[in-house]
Amino acid sequence: MVSARQWDKPLPNVDYDIEPFWNALKEHKFTLFRCKRCGAWYWPVACCRNHENEPFYGNMEWAEASGRGRVFAFNIHNVAFDPVFKDDIPYVYALIELDEGPMFGSNIIGCDPSEVTIGMPVEVVFEDITEEYTLPKFQPVK
Amino acid sequence: MAGDFRDKFAIVGLGMVTGRHLGVTARTLQVEATRRAMEDAGLKREDIDGSIDLRRAGGSGDRPGWTDAFPRALGLPVKFYFTLGRGGALAGLGIITATKFLELGIAKYVALVGAVVDWSQSQEAKERVKGHRGMGRALTKEGYWGKPFGDLRAVSHHSFFASRHMYEYGTTSRQFGAIAVAERQWALMNPQAQMYGRPMTIEDHQSSPVLVYPYHLLDICQVSDGAVAFILTTAERAKDCARAPIYVMGIGFGEAMEKLWWEKHNYTSLAVETAKQQAFSQAGIELRDIDLAQLYDCFTGEVLFQMEDYGWCEKGQGGPFVEAGHIGPGGDIPVNTSGGLLSAYHYGDLTGLSEAMLQLRGEAGERQVKDAEMCLVSGHGGELLSPGMCSIHTSSVLRR
Repeated sequence: MVSARQWDKPLPNVDYDIEPFWNALKEHKFTLFRCKRCGAWYWPVACCRNHENEPFYGNMEWAEASGRGRVFAFNIHNVAFDPVFKDDIPYVYALIELDEGPMFGSNIIGCDPSEVTIGMPVEVVFEDITEEYTLPKFQPVK
Repeated sequence: MAGDFRDKFAIVGLGMVTGRHLGVTARTLQVEATRRAMEDAGLKREDIDGSIDLRRAGGSGDRPGWTDAFPRALGLPVKFYFTLGRGGALAGLGIITATKFLELGIAKYVALVGAVVDWSQSQEAKERVKGHRGMGRALTKEGYWGKPFGDLRAVSHHSFFASRHMYEYGTTSRQFGAIAVAERQWALMNPQAQMYGRPMTIEDHQSSPVLVYPYHLLDICQVSDGAVAFILTTAERAKDCARAPIYVMGIGFGEAMEKLWWEKHNYTSLAVETAKQQAFSQAGIELRDIDLAQLYDCFTGEVLFQMEDYGWCEKGQGGPFVEAGHIGPGGDIPVNTSGGLLSAYHYGDLTGLSEAMLQLRGEAGERQVKDAEMCLVSGHGGELLSPGMCSIHTSSVLRR
């Protein structure tokens, strides 16, 4: 773990809606927004589309999810658009279709970028970047 | 609906500032472009009574500072001034908004202008930060999901579309490259284009660095300075202006949110369907009536998707279609005849609007499309990954 001073990359953009998600990540829990009435999953916050909703997302809750999904689309950054990422290139940034349904954007780590394919099963891995923040990244399912 | 909107409003003035402008503010570029548009229309300061400031207003905000209002600097007696825009969707939103002010009689002539100083800012950033590449302000931009993961630029997520289209339809990098080559061929006939005088072959495309796979450097748009201004008025008033009016035949809007993200329909197409239907139905036209098109081309993929989504070819057949030479000089549907965002200059959809004006007025010089009577202009923009690929599409049909 590094201190915020050592972490020179951007920090997550946190607002009141997404704060519980980032707090859960600190405890290495990957949560999604779930409907208490029908069990449908969302990310980020949303009203449940299957029925009428209670005020202020009253029928919704953050709940721990599988942390698994498949690569839906991806790219390989061979260039650092800012020098703080220069030690990371080449890195993979992917759109992941989670097993629960929602799409999620993150890095695929733990394999060579050339091994990443669309449809590849992946699972969450927690990267503690500062005392305040943990990033949810993904790696191929072993 | 058809015939109700068609030809009721017209663009009567165009002002463009191209080239590089280190040390010049976006405000001054707006002022100069607007001054040129007024001169072009033969209008005086006191004629302009409405104004709209076209801004991308994306993650970077692009909010005006307190001194920014261009009508103040020009001394225009406007009844309203505000900012409008979503990513590269500027002209289409500006036109439909201005028409209501004109219809209600709140304004007689509305000046609309957008400016960028992206190239200058990238040069200044290069001085400050060694190793910096591309537009300025990579790390200060708020509001996007992926910054900590290295999603720093539009290409960091727009490339998902290309990756997915390749997977679903077998589209190849060479086919994306065919679009870049076709647009460069147009740019070679546009002395104002940033890539004027710099020919490119498909081999050049294929050997250019793969900056963000699957996109090569030459799949990615220009970084520009400049401004485009235009003046919109009613068809009746347009007849008294200095130049022949360019009429707005139809205008339409689509939104990727409509095909809701959980249906996962919106990763190999843009939100063209409703935008096209609205615009073409107002105009009372079909696709074959369009003589040429200025399609939003932040990356090569967006052009390919629009060729399919508008119906010039079947879904999935965009690759073979562009390789067959339909969109370049001599093709049956000329696309992005200025060189587009890829090879000319990036003013959002104001690049397409300005080129449509030049072509429909017969002022496009060497690249003039013969008998250009009707032109489609599209706009595109918005947050792409978070939350869930929301992005606007605008579709405007103009005629001379």
